[in-house]
Amino acid sequence: MNRISEAAPAVRLAAVQEKAREAISQHATLPKIEIGIATCGIAAGALETRSAFEQALSEFNIKAYIHPVGCIGHCYAEPLVKIHHPDSGFPPIFYHEVHPGKARMLVKQFLGGGDPCFEHIYGAAQTNDLIPSVSEFARFNREVRVVMENCGRINPEDLFEYIAAGGYKGLVSAMEMPPEEVIRKINESGLRGRGGAGFPAGIKWRMARDAPGTGKIVICNADEGDPGAYMDRTILESNPHQVLEGMAICAHAIGAQKGYIYVRAEYPLAVRIITRAISQAKESGLLGNTILGSALTFDIEVFQGSGAFVCGEETALIQSMEGYRGMPRCRPPYPVEKGFDDRPTVINNVKTLASAPAILMKGPEWYRSVGTEGSPGTAIFSVVGDVVHSGLVEIPMGITLRELIFDICGGIPKKKKFKAVQIGGPSGGCLPERFLDTPIDFDSLKQAGAMMGSGGMVVMDEDACIVDVARFFIDFTQNESCGKCTFCRIGTRHMLDILKRITEGKGKEEDLMLLQRLGEDIRDGSLCGLGKTAPNPVLTSLRYFKEEYDAHILEGRCPGLWCRHLIAYYIDLDKCARGCDVCVGCCPTDAVFTTSTRKKGIDQERCVKCGECMTACPPDYNAVKKVSPAHLAPVIPRPAGSPGEH
Amino acid sequence: MAGPDMDMVEIVINGKNISVKAGRPLLETCLSNGIYIPNLCHVEGMTSPPASCRLCFIEVEGIPAPVPSCVTTVEPGMVVSTDTAAVRKLQRTALKLLLSVHDIDCRNCPVNRKCPLQQIARFLKIGLKSAPFETRLKKDLLDDRHPFFNYYPNRCVLCGRCVYLCHRKNGYPKISFAGRGFGAFIRIDLPLPDDAVSCHECRECATSCPVAALRLK
Amino acid sequence: MVYGLTPEEKEKLERFKTKLSTFEKNRKNLIPILQSAQQEIAYLPGQALELAAGHLDIPISEVYGVATFYNQFRFIPPGKYPIKICLGTACHIKSSDIILENFERKLGIKEGQTTEDRQFSVERVACVGCCALAPVALVGDALYGKMSPSKVEGIFTRIQVEKEMSLRVHSENESNQ
Repeated sequence: MNRISEAAPAVRLAAVQEKAREAISQHATLPKIEIGIATCGIAAGALETRSAFEQALSEFNIKAYIHPVGCIGHCYAEPLVKIHHPDSGFPPIFYHEVHPGKARMLVKQFLGGGDPCFEHIYGAAQTNDLIPSVSEFARFNREVRVVMENCGRINPEDLFEYIAAGGYKGLVSAMEMPPEEVIRKINESGLRGRGGAGFPAGIKWRMARDAPGTGKIVICNADEGDPGAYMDRTILESNPHQVLEGMAICAHAIGAQKGYIYVRAEYPLAVRIITRAISQAKESGLLGNTILGSALTFDIEVFQGSGAFVCGEETALIQSMEGYRGMPRCRPPYPVEKGFDDRPTVINNVKTLASAPAILMKGPEWYRSVGTEGSPGTAIFSVVGDVVHSGLVEIPMGITLRELIFDICGGIPKKKKFKAVQIGGPSGGCLPERFLDTPIDFDSLKQAGAMMGSGGMVVMDEDACIVDVARFFIDFTQNESCGKCTFCRIGTRHMLDILKRITEGKGKEEDLMLLQRLGEDIRDGSLCGLGKTAPNPVLTSLRYFKEEYDAHILEGRCPGLWCRHLIAYYIDLDKCARGCDVCVGCCPTDAVFTTSTRKKGIDQERCVKCGECMTACPPDYNAVKKVSPAHLAPVIPRPAGSPGEH
Repeated sequence: MAGPDMDMVEIVINGKNISVKAGRPLLETCLSNGIYIPNLCHVEGMTSPPASCRLCFIEVEGIPAPVPSCVTTVEPGMVVSTDTAAVRKLQRTALKLLLSVHDIDCRNCPVNRKCPLQQIARFLKIGLKSAPFETRLKKDLLDDRHPFFNYYPNRCVLCGRCVYLCHRKNGYPKISFAGRGFGAFIRIDLPLPDDAVSCHECRECATSCPVAALRLK
Repeated sequence: MVYGLTPEEKEKLERFKTKLSTFEKNRKNLIPILQSAQQEIAYLPGQALELAAGHLDIPISEVYGVATFYNQFRFIPPGKYPIKICLGTACHIKSSDIILENFERKLGIKEGQTTEDRQFSVERVACVGCCALAPVALVGDALYGKMSPSKVEGIFTRIQVEKEMSLRVHSENESNQ
């Protein structure tokens, strides 16, 4: 007994690994159905899919193990299912968009009859002679997974699966070296903060270690606020232990005993999964007092953020944890000197902390071999918008935007032309086509006027309106401004008013100069990072897409045919089919009327420009047209006494 | 407050050598040496100034952009300018932004001629107009629920002096910021009958309000 | 509009009062306390703010100031069918504002409001995380992807039909008894 209690952490971990192997081997022989059940999967119907599998299995009396996993990041294909049926002779196979009907069919035909339903296959999970493997697809083989390696592969609610995948080995390596050595390794790896600004993590840890004071604290910042980014949530939901392990490594390095995960209350599933992970880790001696039998003591609590974008800023985050309004304060003092509870505090993003275990396990040289000299490692983007394979993509730093958007994510759907890519969310910028060969790393993006930011990436085709996208982001930041400092509180509101005016066709020529000057002053004069970066989407689009602003102001024309005040729908009478009433039925405001020839017309005064008639008009006729400026639409008078006339 | 922090050091402000206390905020240092810097939210002796009004910018040699002087402390050998073009540009924009949410009705205002907004505008050589920014006033004109005070949201510039001074004098704030962003405002608690500190006696918030947004009834 | 507490909400407020005693009297617990109140009552009536202030022994204005700062807290009761429109970036570029407008027009309320009969409320929410299904709306827990104005009509028809069916079942049960 005595010998065990004195055993090194590695021996202790080996004991847990043994248990994990045992637990997992229990269902090793059964056919396995893997379903991605993170928020995105659930939204796409993964829970219904799971019950359909369960029902079908019992209906056909087939034994199989349903393995719930996190999210693999392929949002376009959800609900995504992987089935491994060893006896069939086929390798594990991915099926996409598996809704209940398909689930039942797969059980019956594949698990029951050995037919993998070729027409529904997305790809095999391994290279083989029978079925094309997903590893031949760029969306799979061009990714390099460091942070998300196990996302979508393991059950996030089962510690043993993480252990079996090599989990907590990084912590053990860290514990076998003195804290100074851990910090040196992180420093050597060149790991930069993944929250957006890219501050070197090693230096932050060093400063916290050196700061005088006791009761140091590690905070994992999962207050993901960008309206188009969700990788932090996905990581917490898909592999929570990697984050806990990273926090424990940091705790050992800086000498902290207490940690917090600051996660948005809007992420209930992430809160539940991470809370459960903490208690599992405690039960197995991986958190709490005397971790793995050593002198290291580290405990983690979950704090639910109440939804304020500004709380992603570290001083505001601390304010909110202390029970105050989340208003940033001036730095210095920095949180590493005086943070939560006035104690030295390291605040790192989820991805930063989740990178630490691999660095400790595989060494800083390995980490530096991925990515670029100035930005080692990988970047995770949530690529959304007009792109074929949307979702979360983890790529090595340094590949170009073109490779990411066109090669990996499949380019623009419906053969439309690329117009712009918005990177970094509300703090980022909008880049045109000529920047597509810019390498993705902290410094190149900044130079181009965008920034890594939260990792939100919106791809826009020719139908998008750049002015409206700028308005969308300013609307977001002005709404999320804490209201403390003059520039951000009042300045962003004026920017929004001006942009609104422009999208409504009421812009004035001098508005562009005003936007530019005000934007620069907000950037230079605001107190915190939120305010300083808020004008970025406007400033970059003014720089690269001035002609779009001009079209709105000078011609009353929206080049993307998007801004509703500047467009009109009309019906091309040469194409409209007599007697077809589809557009009349679908119009929510009764703006579509029947003319004396039984063809249709649109009452411009009633039209709210929702585009429903255009969607509904059968492609054979394709009679509904959209134009900008609005006055170009031919006028078709509504016959007197027709229904709906006022 | 003796100690090494309070040693006298030489710095240069606007080209002149001045001997000042090290560690003291530059805003206070300049003001007490007769060098005016526009400011609204600062109160003498604050330990962690909010730096929220964004008026007291200065330039310090070696720092690329203007910084607020209320949170920049004196260090030996500093070279400071309070009147560069970059400083003035930010100050003018900040003041115009404040004026765009301020009900500019000076003739009917109790602090006419004593108002810091008027003084700062004169100092920065701009008129009392928000142009090119359009005026954006709040819908609520008056909060008169309190027995002793009236609050005028469209006069308020959210400097926060009332909140800070109430807190400092009474140990806890009976007045605080509420709402968020552009809609932020000041909210006063109605006094409780058994309140230890009587708002009627104190009046700190109303007397400290520079723009007559809080007035005694 | 001022909403009085329904008898049911009064009961919930009592339950919150009991829960309150489990929180240590520490300012750091203010946000968790407000979250617990909202979880219990579905919104934060003035009484809940007063209870929180009393428990932590801090002025009500402070509690009010904190509560009004965060998006999570709401001060009017949600409808029986809370409608949430995702306004994430992906949904925005797929015209989620048109969907929001359709709900607003249909119900005659604006975003952030509740209908007088407390049946429906409409609000915007941050990215729901299924960008591939944009634009997205949630009615209660049910998610509707690839929304369009005509689907808005469909959702109301569905709610109406479900209501009538449950009424019918209810009255059949009554007549059977």
